Amino acid sequence: MTAIALQPRVHPAVEGGLQLEVTNVSRETESIVSITMAAPEGGRLPSYVPGSHLVVQWGNGVNAYSLTGSGNAPSEYSISVLRVGEGAGGSLAMHRLCVGDRVYVARPRSAFAPASTATHHLLVAAGIGITPVLSHARAAVERDSTATMIYVHRPDAGAHVAEARELLGPGLIALVECTDRGSFQNVLAEALITQPVGTHLYVCGPVVFMDAVLEEARGHGWSSARLHSEAFGAAELDAGEPFTVHLARSGVRLEVPAGVSLLETLETAGQSIPNMCRKGICGECVLPVLRGAPQHRDLYLSEQEKAANNTMMSCVSRSNDPELELDL
Amino acid sequence: MPPAAGNGLEPGFRGVICVSFGSSDDTALPDTNGQPRYDLHFESATAESLSELKSVLSGSRVGVRLILAGPPTDIRAAAAAAADCGLLGEEVTLLPQETGPRFVYCPHCLTTTVDEAAGTEVKCQGCATTLTIADHFSRRRGAYLGYSAHAEEAA
Repeated sequence: MTAIALQPRVHPAVEGGLQLEVTNVSRETESIVSITMAAPEGGRLPSYVPGSHLVVQWGNGVNAYSLTGSGNAPSEYSISVLRVGEGAGGSLAMHRLCVGDRVYVARPRSAFAPASTATHHLLVAAGIGITPVLSHARAAVERDSTATMIYVHRPDAGAHVAEARELLGPGLIALVECTDRGSFQNVLAEALITQPVGTHLYVCGPVVFMDAVLEEARGHGWSSARLHSEAFGAAELDAGEPFTVHLARSGVRLEVPAGVSLLETLETAGQSIPNMCRKGICGECVLPVLRGAPQHRDLYLSEQEKAANNTMMSCVSRSNDPELELDL
Repeated sequence: MPPAAGNGLEPGFRGVICVSFGSSDDTALPDTNGQPRYDLHFESATAESLSELKSVLSGSRVGVRLILAGPPTDIRAAAAAAADCGLLGEEVTLLPQETGPRFVYCPHCLTTTVDEAAGTEVKCQGCATTLTIADHFSRRRGAYLGYSAHAEEAA
């Protein structure tokens, strides 16, 4: 391992991944930068499914960002990062990256793939949610399928607007930009009742925005298998309050500080917890809870399972009580 | 009685399309709960009737639902055509008549044979191989998988 002074150890989430070099940094808007990375020795990077994300290490933390390319035989990976002042610090670290910096990344992961049976794709993005949606649009253009895009952004503050416009043609057959809520409501309502049979809908943006779009679609008879949303567009989780975990079987007590996940704490203590996305999506790192009320912050457990308080996702969830007891 | 391809369907239809085959009575189809409804009737699932169904479906919009009633072979063939148009399983309701022939797909010559007898074997209409009818059913083909019977016995 080559010495990287800024990154003392490889985070478990990017282990077995790639070490890339920043080849370009460009400002999209006042608060969004695009970062392009390539293999230091050049050459092709692993292909990825449209809508995939890249887990990037910053200091001792990791964050997932959507890749904006089509994913077909890429020689570089591009992500766009919105600066979030009150986040854990990942977006600020990304904004400090310069050309020539080395970063550890995991191999791209797909959690927002286009449906192979779709006859048309209706893409809906708000703000920084454009990133995976742009990937879908590029893929539609390259793969001879068709897409319609609705993009909601602040006036004069839309990232990747020029690239989206350039894609217009036989693949991206329509691009509707909305800069106010009212016009978006009308555009969406019209789009939802005029899509050919076989269309799938993909939405990425703030959680409230996605929920509203999905609810309206269901109201217009869209079955849930046609609806796809990308949870990674959600704001980064806050650092949370410190708490204690008591491992009942091994009789160990561990302190989980603010800004460090339960999963990381357990790993540091030598516990091996199966895990994959580390974002509360995949459900791999589920742990049995014997006592205490977890603060559920995952997107995996159902409302009922969360209320039962006997399982939790150790990657993102924390505790409402000062101490949790786990069956470990 | 059936209208010409897509003629009777208003553009952008998002209601319920009810298709019956053979002797199935339209009135056997369930109430569509106040949703706009469009009825079609065909004698059987022929290339022509399936093409008309596809034409109707391609004129409709997301939100549409499909109900298929009749002999299993016909509604399975229609369901496969609907899936080809992009309809999802949860958007299609199958109302099969209790009994009826079934399709058996021969992977040796790629022909589909109608099995009227409801036995465990059927003679392939394409290559005359005696096929054992497996439980495996392909929704895409609307047919059961057949395979050369007694193939494992030493010749």
